[in-house]
Amino acid sequence: MRPRISHIILVAAALVAILILAAHATAPILYTAENISTAAHADPATIKKRSPGDAASLVPLMDELLGQTGTLTLTIKLKDYESAERDLAHYAELSRRFDRLVITLDASETDIGEFQQMNRQNLDSLATLLDDSRRLDDLKRLEIEVRGDDGQHTAVVYEGEALRQKMHQGFSTYAERVPAMSRIAENYEINTTAYQESTEHFAEATESADAWRKETGGKTPPSPLGITLTPTEGYYGDPIQISGRYTGTPPEAPVEIYVDSRLATTTALDDAGQYACTYWIGEILAGPHLVYVTAGPAYSDVRTFEALAGNTTLTLTLEEVSQATVACTGILMTSNRSVASAPIVLRLDDTTLIEAETDGNGTYRKEIALPAGDHTIKAEFHGAGFPLNPSESETGIFRVPDELPSPLPIITGAAALLGTVWYLRRRHQRKAPEVEEEKMETIEPPEEEKMDVPAIDISDLDPRDAATVLFRALRARLGIPETKTPRDCAQIAPAHARFFKRYERIRYAGETPTEEDLRWMEAAARGDDDAA
Amino acid sequence: MTMQREVWAILVLLLIAGAAVFAHATTTIEDYSRHNIGWNGTSSLGLEETRGGTPPAGSTLLILAPEGSFTEDDINRLRTHLEGGGAVIIADKEGRVNPLLSALGSSIRVQPGNLSSLERGHADPRLFRVQTTGNSSLFAGIETLLVNRPAAVQGGEPLLETSLLAWDDTTGDGRPGGTETFKRRAICAREGDITVLGDPSLFINAMLPENPEFIENLRKQSVLIDAAHSGTGTRNPIINTLTWIQATPLARAAIAALVILPVAYLFGRKRE
Repeated sequence: MRPRISHIILVAAALVAILILAAHATAPILYTAENISTAAHADPATIKKRSPGDAASLVPLMDELLGQTGTLTLTIKLKDYESAERDLAHYAELSRRFDRLVITLDASETDIGEFQQMNRQNLDSLATLLDDSRRLDDLKRLEIEVRGDDGQHTAVVYEGEALRQKMHQGFSTYAERVPAMSRIAENYEINTTAYQESTEHFAEATESADAWRKETGGKTPPSPLGITLTPTEGYYGDPIQISGRYTGTPPEAPVEIYVDSRLATTTALDDAGQYACTYWIGEILAGPHLVYVTAGPAYSDVRTFEALAGNTTLTLTLEEVSQATVACTGILMTSNRSVASAPIVLRLDDTTLIEAETDGNGTYRKEIALPAGDHTIKAEFHGAGFPLNPSESETGIFRVPDELPSPLPIITGAAALLGTVWYLRRRHQRKAPEVEEEKMETIEPPEEEKMDVPAIDISDLDPRDAATVLFRALRARLGIPETKTPRDCAQIAPAHARFFKRYERIRYAGETPTEEDLRWMEAAARGDDDAA
Repeated sequence: MTMQREVWAILVLLLIAGAAVFAHATTTIEDYSRHNIGWNGTSSLGLEETRGGTPPAGSTLLILAPEGSFTEDDINRLRTHLEGGGAVIIADKEGRVNPLLSALGSSIRVQPGNLSSLERGHADPRLFRVQTTGNSSLFAGIETLLVNRPAAVQGGEPLLETSLLAWDDTTGDGRPGGTETFKRRAICAREGDITVLGDPSLFINAMLPENPEFIENLRKQSVLIDAAHSGTGTRNPIINTLTWIQATPLARAAIAALVILPVAYLFGRKRE
């Protein structure tokens, strides 16, 4: 191979190697395992670790929640309302923990998610039971105080009757959930005794309203305040028309409409003693809801409507705010309606949860600062507190570019390149004078006559050794450096080329010089012109 | 001189390239292979192997990731081994061993699937810890074990069990939901002297540091791998040829002769 070609190949190979290394210099992943899993198994060392998310506490928490229903209903039944308040607060706190855990573990779509929904309804039912029981006790005291005042007594009796109906309806819906919840709990080896007992305590608390009704005569005259719901079921955003008529002289007081014991809206009776208003199904749980109205001392009967669970869709759009910040936006819809004030969870990289909330138009926006690398983001709606089924968006991927590459590899690479150039140039310069020297020597042969010719004695030597002595003598006479080979010498002094070529064969081809050769070479070494 | 330097450089490069090619040709990435030094091989397991014949009386035979079918002779041999006081551990997650278990009269069955768990410390839901529930020398001193995409095992006395929050991920989406239900499942069960482990991945190189006590227990019991039926071999013809040469004295002698004779010839020629 010719030196020039080999140099070109070496330089090209070096450049290719430098280019390949430069591509990886800032992110050295040359030795990262590519195949981190097969169909049979995964390499645990390369799989991202994550916190177990307190998964081990999930089943114990379910156990505690069911147990808490027993404790709470017992304290309500025993009319220990102070303890009941504490128990209810504890139960609500446990429920919140449980809700968070279910979302964190992404178990909303399992029977645990179903358990979570029913637990929320239980919490709601028991909070209402506590309020109703307390109010019932108040009414009992009031009823004694107003005996003799027909007007007030009747009002108390009406309210008592409304309360009794409400407690019955509440018990009915609570008891309906017991089989389903118990079945789920038993799947997880949870003892449901306390929960079963809670149903009995709830029933007893309700029965106390029946007992009081009997005490107050056993009959309640028909309420003068009528109530009608149209329709009796609907989805999120649907209207429920609540209307009725006051029989007799209508009071001047406004008509207050209560949904699940909470004041929903207020209206007034018209001249004909009629009222009508619209209640929009909003942030309430799916299932039956109790409605009654009051107008002064008059209480209507209790009616129910059913909030049906509707399906939802959730979108997610990722917009770059800055190099390391992404804005997550989207909209939550059910049917063709947007869902307002709904909690949205953004699941970042499958592990971190970030909370957001929809505005009045059902849209949400959250800016998240992210470290360098690829990130997956998904928006989730878990339906908490709404008559809506959970939904989630498509998973979006956002890439945060690495920070500016370190200058060190670039500096090192540049230094290596400069070093290579310097070395090659130096090497080239070192060679150049030799060639120059060779040229000079060829053009201007040494002045033979000026050289002193040393005495040459080859009489006792072996013919090949004698030839070597004669070669050295001629070389010295011609002033050629000792480092030069016979071939070099032949080029430098072409006049003596025959001598040097002959010696080359003696020296390297192993030939033995004859007597005649030696005589001729000795003459040449001594400077005999004929010999050259 | 320049040319000589280049020739040397090329020779060195060829030598390095040759070494790389040899290393490449004589390694494998096959799952469970004892020749695989990578994460999914069993090169570091350090258990002795036995091939064919009846294993020593009273020994424990490990059939790891079984391949192929078991002949009548194989089944009779295993039966004899069990009747002679020996024990058998079968590690399988594909269900290939079920016909053998049936033939040996065992009620244990391997149920292949995508067993996953919420109680996990890795992003992969099929990489999780299980609890020891039975009393076995195999799991002596161990409370939990990290398993790697295991299969459930049905029947027998459970020795290893998942938590209640395990599910068979039939949709493969890594999330529980739909018809997938949480349930406690056995990963390892014993019936007489037959132990069935639903996770042969416990023996791969990457898993050895995760469950050191388990491997230590195996080594203490001098467990022998049934090389004839385990998936610890290789399909690489070069490795198989080299292994055959190592195991065959005559072939070893032939190879030695092939190396020595040309060298001797060259030396003799130089002297002349």
